[in-house]
Amino acid sequence: MEQLTLRGVSKSFGSLQAVNELDLSVGEGCIYGLLGPNGAGKTTTIRMIMDILAPDQGEIRILGQPNSSRVRDRVGYLPEERGLYRKMKVGHLLLFLAELKGVKKTTAKERIDYWLERFDLLGWSQKKIEELSRGMQQKLQFIVSFLHSPKLVILDEPFTGLDPVNINLVKEVMLEEKRKGTSIILSTHLMEQAEKLCDQICLINEGEKVLDGGLNEIKANYGKNTVVLEYEGQADFLTDKEVVESYDDYGKWVEIHPSPGINPQAILKRASQEVTIFKFELVEPSLNEIFIQTVQKGKE
Amino acid sequence: MSKIGTIMKREFLTRVRTKGFIIGTLAMPLVIVILTGAPALLMSLKSEKPKKISVVDETGRLFSSLRAALNDTAKGGIRIYRLAQVEVPPGELSQVRRELTKGVQKGRIDGYLIIPADVFEENQAQFYARNVSNFQVNEDLQGAVSKVVSHFRLSRSGLDPEKVKKLVKGVNLRTFKVTGKGREEEDVGGTFMITYILVFFLYISLMIYGVQVMRGVIEEKRSRVVEMIVSAAKPFHLMAGKVLGVGGVGLAQFLIWALLVGGLSFYGKNLISSLAGQLGPFPVPHIPVSLLLFFVLFFLLGYFLYATLYAGVGAMVNSDEDAQHLQMPLVGLLVIPFMLMFYIIGNPNSGIATLLSFFPFFTPIIMFMRIAVQTPPLWQVLVSIVLLGFSIAAMIWVVSRIYRVGILMYGKRPSLPELVKWFRYG
Repeated sequence: MEQLTLRGVSKSFGSLQAVNELDLSVGEGCIYGLLGPNGAGKTTTIRMIMDILAPDQGEIRILGQPNSSRVRDRVGYLPEERGLYRKMKVGHLLLFLAELKGVKKTTAKERIDYWLERFDLLGWSQKKIEELSRGMQQKLQFIVSFLHSPKLVILDEPFTGLDPVNINLVKEVMLEEKRKGTSIILSTHLMEQAEKLCDQICLINEGEKVLDGGLNEIKANYGKNTVVLEYEGQADFLTDKEVVESYDDYGKWVEIHPSPGINPQAILKRASQEVTIFKFELVEPSLNEIFIQTVQKGKE
Repeated sequence: MSKIGTIMKREFLTRVRTKGFIIGTLAMPLVIVILTGAPALLMSLKSEKPKKISVVDETGRLFSSLRAALNDTAKGGIRIYRLAQVEVPPGELSQVRRELTKGVQKGRIDGYLIIPADVFEENQAQFYARNVSNFQVNEDLQGAVSKVVSHFRLSRSGLDPEKVKKLVKGVNLRTFKVTGKGREEEDVGGTFMITYILVFFLYISLMIYGVQVMRGVIEEKRSRVVEMIVSAAKPFHLMAGKVLGVGGVGLAQFLIWALLVGGLSFYGKNLISSLAGQLGPFPVPHIPVSLLLFFVLFFLLGYFLYATLYAGVGAMVNSDEDAQHLQMPLVGLLVIPFMLMFYIIGNPNSGIATLLSFFPFFTPIIMFMRIAVQTPPLWQVLVSIVLLGFSIAAMIWVVSRIYRVGILMYGKRPSLPELVKWFRYG
């Protein structure tokens, strides 16, 4: 069953078309990447799903039902704009937010204990929010989005502000919940994270969908014709449009998408004339590369 | 509906649980008692220390009656004023005055009084002291000198001062309030006092709880928590829950005060009368229950009107500083009826008072004043309440639309055209 369906959803603010005729469909028990650069329309889309903004047109169905307050009680949401009541105690706050989502008090208390323990915050239940570190507050917000055992969870940039240890913890929890059958929508502009976590993706740019589907199929479509080089030296050939259609260069590591009709071996030959090569590999293109290419194609 | 309940519960509990609420609730009655009791207490505290005052009586005839007139005694039976007559040889007044001034400087005497020979014609006497700001002393001296001088004049004209005093004695006007039920009750200013205190409470409460709603909204915007709340509940639920929850805090506070006062008047009568005994006559006014019910009614109606408006102000701004500006009109609407209090109490049924009490923003305070002083015709009370009810509904409708958009706007304060746009979006 589709957990979330958007059909022809549009939203404009004055003359700015924030989201244009967007179709989405998210399956059960998967991590779905809603990807795109800053300002692409990701947060506006999410706000429409959560009924914070009303779409100008189009239809949104959640868990197979029309969008209603009742069905949204089974959706978890981690907003990009984080914030909690600073003066409230951790336990009171979590209970309030769980009750607001329609969870009974006794059930809520059990879940609060479970999640506080899972995130190593058990001793903090009687402390005020303002006494917690930023990282702890982030974890608390993450807990809030899972507290009412939702079937669908929307996480808007969940990794910002977390240290590597907590990023790992959050990833673990996301995978656990996915295995339990929860669908998770991961909205981010960080392609690397998404690439490793997502089963399905939707790339949007300037309010419009540019690409969507299973991540593996998308990559397979592009084939193993992407070149990864580790090198040292001045790589002038990268800017030669005859050979290289696009590239993502980090100075010592570069991902190259050859121009049509160019054999990867030709790239190796050309590169070896200019730089010292430590590693040459043919891979599927990275999500970042796919995104850049797709957006560029759209512009032409 | 249950979401409004959950939000209301949070607003109520987070406020009631604070130390500020507990201290404020207990301190307020104390402040009132001190404010109302302090003047009486101070009046009763006459200076205990005897005052040594030298008297230069140039008429040579007034000193003994002056001493008799100033025979006030302090608690221990000690005379407050110790007068000593200073004889002045002819032509040496300035010499004597220098001596007396020195005496005041050195603290041998507290002051000296000069009654000139022409006091009967010029009506002037002089008092010299280090401290001439003790109004009690000034008043006592002036009273005593006036009394002995006028008595002397009367006797000189062949009249009996005691007889004259009896003849020109003023008439005491006792005031009785005729209540709506036709009963007559003696009123020694109690109605005025009760009205004043209750109106003051009403005005302060409407302002304080309105501002609390506004601050709550600003806090939610500033901390960004609002995004999470409105993903789970409609903005209208958030606004309604907040207004109801804070209003509940107000009612809880009134209830605690009512219980305190009730308990005090049941079990503390002895305490009050023993206190009152020391403070002199201290009227313990009787407040009709119906008036308290009207108080609660007009508090609730006024609160819904103003809390809604304050919520709207909160949604439009991002900081307390911005809010200061924008809430000025609201403060004005609350202050004006309070400032008109003396006029309204004096003329509760005048055309202007009636008209003002129908203006919904003034109704809570002005109609309550009118009811407290002199029950207006029932139809007027009902019309004002209905008008107020409609205004509340209209304000909720307008403000909730602005609120809905405003709480998610983190930029600068909106201009009027932008506000209209928000209203249309909402």
